[in-house]
Amino acid sequence: MHSYIRPNTHIALRLPSGLFKIVEITPNTSINLGKFGAFNSNLLLGRPYYLTYELLDKEDGRAKTTLRVVPASELHAEALGSEHAPAAEATDESADSGAGYDIVGEDGEVIMRNNRLTVDDASRQKLSMEEIEELKKAGTGSGKDIIAKIMESHNALGEKTSFSLAKYTLRKSRKYLKRFTALPMDVGVLTEYVLEREAYKIMELREDLLGLICSWANIHCAATSRVQMAEDGVSQIGGGRWLVVDDTGGLVTAALAERMGILYPEESDAESEEDGETQFAALEEVGRALSQQQNGTTDPSETAVPTGTDTDMPEADADTTVPPNPSKPNDDSSSRPQPRKQPRPHVPQMSAQTNTLTVLHPNNQPNLSYLKYFGYDYGAPAISHPLYKHLKSISWLSLLHPEDDPQYDEPESFSEEALTTMKSSKRGTYYRKRRRWERVKTVVDETRAGGFDGLVVATAMDPKTVLKELVPLVRGGGKIVVYSPNAEPLVELCDYYSKERRAAYIAHEFGPAPQTPNQQNGMKHKFEDDAETNDSTTEVDEDDDFPVNPTLLLAPSLQTARARQWQVLPQRTHPMMTSRGGAEGYLFTATRVLPIEGRVEARGHHGKKKRKVDAEVPVQA
Amino acid sequence: MAFSPSPFLDPGTHASANNLGILQLRRDQLIPAVLLPHAESDYAEGKVENTRFGSFPHSTLVGQPWGTQVLASVVDTGSRGKSKKRKRDGKDEDGEAGKSDVKEARKDIVKAATASSGFAHLVPPTPETWTLSLPHRTQVVYTPDYSYILQRLRVRPGDHIIEAGAGSGSFTHAAVRAVYNGYPGQSDPSNPTEDADTAPKKRKRKRNGGVYSFEYHEPRARQLQLEISDHGLAPLVTITHRDVYSDGFCLDNPSLPDADAIFLDLPAPWQALKHLTRSPPSSAALKATAPDIPTETTADASKPFRSPLNPRTPTRICTFSPCIEQVTRTVSALRTLGWLEIDMVEIAAKRLEVRRERVGLAEEGVRGGNSAPANVQEAVQRLKDVEGRAAVFHSLQKEKQEEVMRRAEARKRGEVGVGDEDGGKKEGVKTSRQDRLDKAKREIEARSLFKEGRLVHRTEPELKTHTSYLVFAVLPREWSGQDEERARRKWGK
Repeated sequence: MHSYIRPNTHIALRLPSGLFKIVEITPNTSINLGKFGAFNSNLLLGRPYYLTYELLDKEDGRAKTTLRVVPASELHAEALGSEHAPAAEATDESADSGAGYDIVGEDGEVIMRNNRLTVDDASRQKLSMEEIEELKKAGTGSGKDIIAKIMESHNALGEKTSFSLAKYTLRKSRKYLKRFTALPMDVGVLTEYVLEREAYKIMELREDLLGLICSWANIHCAATSRVQMAEDGVSQIGGGRWLVVDDTGGLVTAALAERMGILYPEESDAESEEDGETQFAALEEVGRALSQQQNGTTDPSETAVPTGTDTDMPEADADTTVPPNPSKPNDDSSSRPQPRKQPRPHVPQMSAQTNTLTVLHPNNQPNLSYLKYFGYDYGAPAISHPLYKHLKSISWLSLLHPEDDPQYDEPESFSEEALTTMKSSKRGTYYRKRRRWERVKTVVDETRAGGFDGLVVATAMDPKTVLKELVPLVRGGGKIVVYSPNAEPLVELCDYYSKERRAAYIAHEFGPAPQTPNQQNGMKHKFEDDAETNDSTTEVDEDDDFPVNPTLLLAPSLQTARARQWQVLPQRTHPMMTSRGGAEGYLFTATRVLPIEGRVEARGHHGKKKRKVDAEVPVQA
Repeated sequence: MAFSPSPFLDPGTHASANNLGILQLRRDQLIPAVLLPHAESDYAEGKVENTRFGSFPHSTLVGQPWGTQVLASVVDTGSRGKSKKRKRDGKDEDGEAGKSDVKEARKDIVKAATASSGFAHLVPPTPETWTLSLPHRTQVVYTPDYSYILQRLRVRPGDHIIEAGAGSGSFTHAAVRAVYNGYPGQSDPSNPTEDADTAPKKRKRKRNGGVYSFEYHEPRARQLQLEISDHGLAPLVTITHRDVYSDGFCLDNPSLPDADAIFLDLPAPWQALKHLTRSPPSSAALKATAPDIPTETTADASKPFRSPLNPRTPTRICTFSPCIEQVTRTVSALRTLGWLEIDMVEIAAKRLEVRRERVGLAEEGVRGGNSAPANVQEAVQRLKDVEGRAAVFHSLQKEKQEEVMRRAEARKRGEVGVGDEDGGKKEGVKTSRQDRLDKAKREIEARSLFKEGRLVHRTEPELKTHTSYLVFAVLPREWSGQDEERARRKWGK
């Protein structure tokens, strides 16, 4: 992955200021770095990532601007050079005589300067602004000589402590060095890039929290997972399918997809450098085989498995626990009559059965614009991209009220004879409509059937309303993760799943808890009040007090994490002086469980108090 | 036995025999157990997990859908304990007898009877639940740290990762999840130990992800190997018992480990770095990175140099060290060896506790409440009440005193036999505390404590303020003049 810079991909260029510039690199175009100059994209193509390049201007007797790779030793020269010198200073720690005095060695030699003599005055720089501008225009070299001249003409460079000198040099380098580093476009870089300029668009989601989300949601590649059905034989359970509510423009989706191995287009993770073409051809082949199957008699559950990443694992459908079931909802027999001959191979979008992400969106279309940096345009997805089959989308309307969604209505179905008499453009429209409907119906039906491995939520909507609808769609043992930039919505959520509320909910559903909780070892009947269940009296009251079913989640917890950056330089190691403020970012995590029907007595000691038991009486899902 | 994927990666719908399941008792109290319903055991019910929330025979767990709330069973733990004691007393004969008992019991495992109370949840294992429940052998790398590390190392399905200092294996499990993209030669499970790259290649040159784990403490390495096999991860993890400082990371198979990412949880990561280069490091660099160790260049020279790194991708590294001195030495070694993008961070993670804070006079005697007045009005009201009672009390006192005086005078006058009315008076000054508590007790039935009070959150009492410093760096692909020339020809100037 990311072994070299490929044409027509996005790359991130980090400028000396630390800011990113993201460019889509197409051969034979000019890449403009503003005041640092411009260069031809061909100079970067095929080169490895993470190298730092220096722009060498054409003035220096070259025909064009060229790039020079700055070797690591040069990049680290500053830090490495000073490494051994200050080591001597470190030996003398007794002379720690407090601020304001030079640290003096035993022989009276000043071994560490301090800032006692510092003069806070801009006049110490002899070069005027105009002169510096002049130097820049002269445009000699890479900016190093400008920095050298500036340093030279500083009045009191010798008075600076080595630390302030280093800082001064760094500041000047940031400003004048014509260097950039070419970084691969990945989720980490994208996060940093967006946080820098429009953090609100990604709900101020930092990389540290993205990592935590992926862990707690148990996201992993499930391309080879078994396809297993629930006892009803209709709904799939597990198989590496995650539900996502993403208001971060696709950043969360991208992070999850990266962990699932479906974010980057096929070609970029191939070891082979040359065979991008052949792979695509193979994929087309698969697509053709697929559509034939689809149009033939085979069950969609079988056809859907092989994909770019899945194909080499026939295991996936070999292990299907349930034989093709004609009553499957997505196998509506009325959708069958389709022409044998198709003008182009049709690879059904969103058709993967394992290793999928299902994105719920509040608008007609999901906002997944950040996926464009990874070669996936939601509006016009490339068939070769793994997300084409593994990313599914469904609107809240189609999830909750499919009957109100016109896309879910089956379009008119024509017989083959009628089709052959149609104009080709009309026939095309007909197929397009049919396919869209098939896609929508399949996704809606399978989403409503549930059995997802997990749920990841990052939304501005009220989380409790989201969880009320989606938690039941998660399989037992599945993970729930909700991100929020602020603590309060999640604190509220924790409260709705609190132990006390759960007990109250159970009492509400199953009648009051049997008294004398102290004799928990007595021969009490567990299901005694089973009979009087489910006559939920006041709907309104219930919704207010129990907006979610608190028995469905185990161990709801709230956490946060933050990475604090340090500067590591010889003798100057300390945490960074400033970093990003704003939203702290919190995660709510829990496990979906299948509570036992009826009342269950808890056992054990509650806290350090005497034998007291909270009667926990989980209820049926 | 049919090949079944690890429950960590593809748990299936139900808990199955011979696979790991986790019994979750409380949020941080989890019991990992390889479910062996037919294993030899002292119990009539077969193998049993005994917890403070009840006993759970494995036979009641196997076949349950994941996430099920499982009820405890009635297990006779007492008699087994006795037989054990007997075993200890009269070693030989009783031991034998005990064994034969066991054998009999194993033949027909008693169907466990459900207990009247107690339950636990049966959840599929994940690196997170495993981290919370694993047997500690060394300091554990916890979830906030390993999540961040794997995120920053950009570990993706299909990658190869080196882990040195495997320790308790929490990072190992998380790393497997991150690199997993299928078992090597998945259709051929009979040969699971075969390495990814030697397996007959199917169709495309698909590279299977793998973890290459090194541990120099032999018992720990062995223990980890056992766990990994128990968890069905053996084909994905290669554990090597080795001192990586001196022997490096290359495996017998010349194409391995071919690493894309490296995680070093070692006391002196800088001593291992010389083995993680793309070309033989210069002797100057060696001296600079490990001045305290005489360079073993002689040993190195005898063998042809082999890099454990994947030559086609940038290699990312993370070192995990608790002390700042380790960090400075590591960073300077990284700089000397040409690593780039060096960055050091520490992770501050905390868990928050959410609760309802109930304050008010009504909370007196109610568990979890603070009986201070909720507001000024309540305070004033209480003061008034107290004053009122005091007034009553004083007037009673006065009465009493007068009564005493009267009696004294009466006695002086020679009168006798005046009754003691103290009891009746006590009724009048009734201790209001008891009264209030009774009242609170009566009212509690009607209250909904779960939604009363103010919702607050705060950091949980146990706070990890420092785990370790994380140093990250990237080693780009080697790029020679020749490569540049080739690229120039291919892409034009």
